[in-house]
Amino acid sequence: MNQNIFLVHHVKPVKIVRHDKTMKTTPIIGLEVHVELKTKSKMFCGCSADHFHVEANTHTCPVCLGLPGALPVPNKTACEWCVKLGLALGCSINEESFFERKNYFYPDLAKGYQITQLQKPFAVNGKLDIDGHEIRINRAHMEEDTGKSVHVDGSTLLDFNRSGVPLVEIVSEPDLISALEAKKYLNKLQQIIRYIEVSDADIEKGSMRCEPTVNVKIETDSGEVVYTPLAEIKNVASLTGVMNAIDFEIKRQIDQYQSDGVAKNSTNKTTRGWDADKNQTFLQREKEGSADYRYFPEPDIPPITFTKVQVEEIRKTLPELPDQKITKYKSLSLSDYDANLLAQDSVFSSAFEKALNNSANLLNGAIRTALNENQSEIDLNKINATHFQDIFSKKSELSSTAIKQLTLESYNSGTNPLTFAKDNNLFQVSDTGALEQFAKEVIEANPKAIEDYRKNPLAIGFLVGQLMKVSKGSANPQTGKEILEKLLK
Amino acid sequence: MTDLNKLTLKEAREGLLSKKFTAVELTQSCLDRIKSLDKKLNSFVTVTGEDALKQAQSVDINLPLGGIPIAVKDNYLTKDIRTTASSRVLDNYLAQYDATTIKKLKNAGAIIIGKTNLDAWAHGSSTETSDYGPTLNPWNMEHLPGGSSGGSAAAVAADETIISVGSETAGSIRQPASWCGVVGFKPTYGRVSRYGVIAMKSSTDSPGPICKTVDDAANLLEIMSGSDPFDATSIDEPPWKKPELRQNLKGLKIGLPLSYFPPQTQPEVKEAILGAVETLKKLGAEIIELSDVLDPKYSIAVYTILQRSEVSSNLARFDGIRYGHDRSFFGTEAKRRIMLGTYSLSAGYYDAYYLKAQKVRTLICQDFDNQFKKVDAIIGPVSPTTALKIGASEGQSMFGEIQDMLVEPSSIAGLPGISIPCAFDKIGLPIGLQIMAPQKREDLVYQIAKLFEDNTDYHLERPKL
Ligand SMILES: [Zn+2]
Repeated sequence: MNQNIFLVHHVKPVKIVRHDKTMKTTPIIGLEVHVELKTKSKMFCGCSADHFHVEANTHTCPVCLGLPGALPVPNKTACEWCVKLGLALGCSINEESFFERKNYFYPDLAKGYQITQLQKPFAVNGKLDIDGHEIRINRAHMEEDTGKSVHVDGSTLLDFNRSGVPLVEIVSEPDLISALEAKKYLNKLQQIIRYIEVSDADIEKGSMRCEPTVNVKIETDSGEVVYTPLAEIKNVASLTGVMNAIDFEIKRQIDQYQSDGVAKNSTNKTTRGWDADKNQTFLQREKEGSADYRYFPEPDIPPITFTKVQVEEIRKTLPELPDQKITKYKSLSLSDYDANLLAQDSVFSSAFEKALNNSANLLNGAIRTALNENQSEIDLNKINATHFQDIFSKKSELSSTAIKQLTLESYNSGTNPLTFAKDNNLFQVSDTGALEQFAKEVIEANPKAIEDYRKNPLAIGFLVGQLMKVSKGSANPQTGKEILEKLLK
Repeated sequence: MTDLNKLTLKEAREGLLSKKFTAVELTQSCLDRIKSLDKKLNSFVTVTGEDALKQAQSVDINLPLGGIPIAVKDNYLTKDIRTTASSRVLDNYLAQYDATTIKKLKNAGAIIIGKTNLDAWAHGSSTETSDYGPTLNPWNMEHLPGGSSGGSAAAVAADETIISVGSETAGSIRQPASWCGVVGFKPTYGRVSRYGVIAMKSSTDSPGPICKTVDDAANLLEIMSGSDPFDATSIDEPPWKKPELRQNLKGLKIGLPLSYFPPQTQPEVKEAILGAVETLKKLGAEIIELSDVLDPKYSIAVYTILQRSEVSSNLARFDGIRYGHDRSFFGTEAKRRIMLGTYSLSAGYYDAYYLKAQKVRTLICQDFDNQFKKVDAIIGPVSPTTALKIGASEGQSMFGEIQDMLVEPSSIAGLPGISIPCAFDKIGLPIGLQIMAPQKREDLVYQIAKLFEDNTDYHLERPKL
């Protein structure tokens, strides 16, 4: 045996220290997002999927505890929601999909493998538009959540309430180029998920979890291009955290490269944790590239088919999505700012659309009806937008009959509706001082009716009628009634 | 009355309903037989005894299996009766729920008298790898009963029970039935729910009956079968029903594959099958020699790869955190399979092993499809030999695969099949005939087997114990 083999002088790699001021750096960011679906039951059993603040191990059964002999039966709704989410992200849906086993050991992984999708996920090749920059989505696949390890006094307790809760994993291509863009991507994803009502997508509660993978493309002025080693960042629990972690990591990688000159290769991907208190990432695992999960098709679940017809049926259940709403609002000549703000949340946008509907009703209800009665064509010159705005601004003080009357008056004579309302006493008086005065008058003038009221509270109706008469119809009847009742107590 | 334990299911039902004896007497006679015999035979891992008798006292005998003692392979989860899969890892494991089949059996009034021995985790074809010692063959205690359902087959052959259930992944019902001279009916994959049966190779595991006659097995299968909302791979059909009996086999084409007589075939086995061919011919069947059936040796490789792969994943849950015992309690065979399976699924090897095996599996399925265009059913020996001697599996890590090579192809293809006694060798060990049919055609298997049995006496022979 030649011992000298081991004595060959070891050549150290040359340290490349760069202080190249003109060096151009471009962050490369991909996001893996896990979304917990809010289905009633878990992914593969009938247990309740609710696990937030639930007594430990109360939502469990042989299946989600991974007991011997137990078998998974896929939740149809969860699969359909995954497809729905895929469609909302512009994905194509695989006609035949199947589940696979991802084998690894972890105490809260009941079966020793996670049921997920690898080769044939439900949804592939989608995209999300972030301010005109198209971010490609590789896939949206279905899987199950694991249990939870709870560390107490130096020992670890296992809670399987979360075991088997349906998760959709949405994997982007590494197309994002800044922490801000990543944040916008997540905001938009969250918006879409909430619009289609498949999850609360709450990052703080853990129903939406995000793992950024970051590295940096470095171009020197000599034209050389290198990539820094990939780092996957775990345990980021807020949107701000995601941004901060990405920003920290970008800077760290550039600094690291400047000091050691190590570029990305197939074996130096690392996993880093996020420490929100110290505002920095830290090394968790090295050589992530070599992890081997021994995937193979899940023999307990036959392949799942979504025919083109079924996919179209699911597509029909999609509501109008934020992007479509923004386009629509802009076409109503709203500003970019307003359109975006209105579309941000489905509750907000539906309030706006309701208001829009009211205006439509006003126009169609009051003017169209009148026109139809006279069998005449609408004269657009007679529509005064400012008048409409005036009517809306005082809507709460006007009865619906008054609103119709004002609208019609504006159209027919061009009269300012507010002036008209004032002149004709159409404003309802809700001012309690004024109403009290009217009420006192009524009480004084009607002793008999007061007696009746004492015997039968329903007799208040007559008194309210008198109040309306005294106020010449200007009183808000509901407020008037309340004041009468108060005075007669 | 004596020897109630020797009755068939049919006879026991008649006796109970005509009040010739009670369910307690019937159960007691089986328990007595176990007591006198099982220290040596070792068919049972656990005997329920008092609990079974208590149950027999109050059972409604009008139920389909009311008061009938049954032995259950110890890989079926039974609530409140320990379930070990014959592995010390589960030495003191009490299941929290009943397997679907167990529920059905209980609802049908069956009395579970005990849990039967198997190769640990059902890994084998000898019952020799059980952590609770080997089961012996009732026909000759120097020989093996086969496996992995060796305990169930031996218990039936030795009249320790009236009926039993086993499970087959690739031969584990038919091969021990053949070596023990009883009837083992392996249904189509998915016909009987796998829920609550400890998984071995999930993609072919098929629970099924092991009984004294073809009718008994068919009656038991009727009760075990039917779609199960807890098993996504179960066939979405109502429970299987026995078909009308045929007068003869006229118009049926039965295939005899020449490749099912490999060189190591014992001459008496070949003779026995050829004898069975004559019987079937007399019954009117047309026997067609099949010269182009894929050599069953390919199934050994396919089965080995796929089975090890699935086993390595299925046994991962026994990680030492739950179930009482840690992984050091796994026997050599289980460890060997876990390692081989882990290897064949590993990155860089997956394509060469698992994926290729799946492709060959498809070829095997296609081969059966083609053969069944020519014939209605296929027959052959269950095993190339009669029961081998105790110790034969030692040091033979491929023992099971080689012993089971003639039942592996149909298992891999998910076909229904049966093993029925069709002769004895010169030292008196039974020989089994297997009958296979296309998926979901248990009716054909039953009709042929039943007519064969009605016209022969092999099933009436009993081991002299
Ligand atoms: Zn559950």
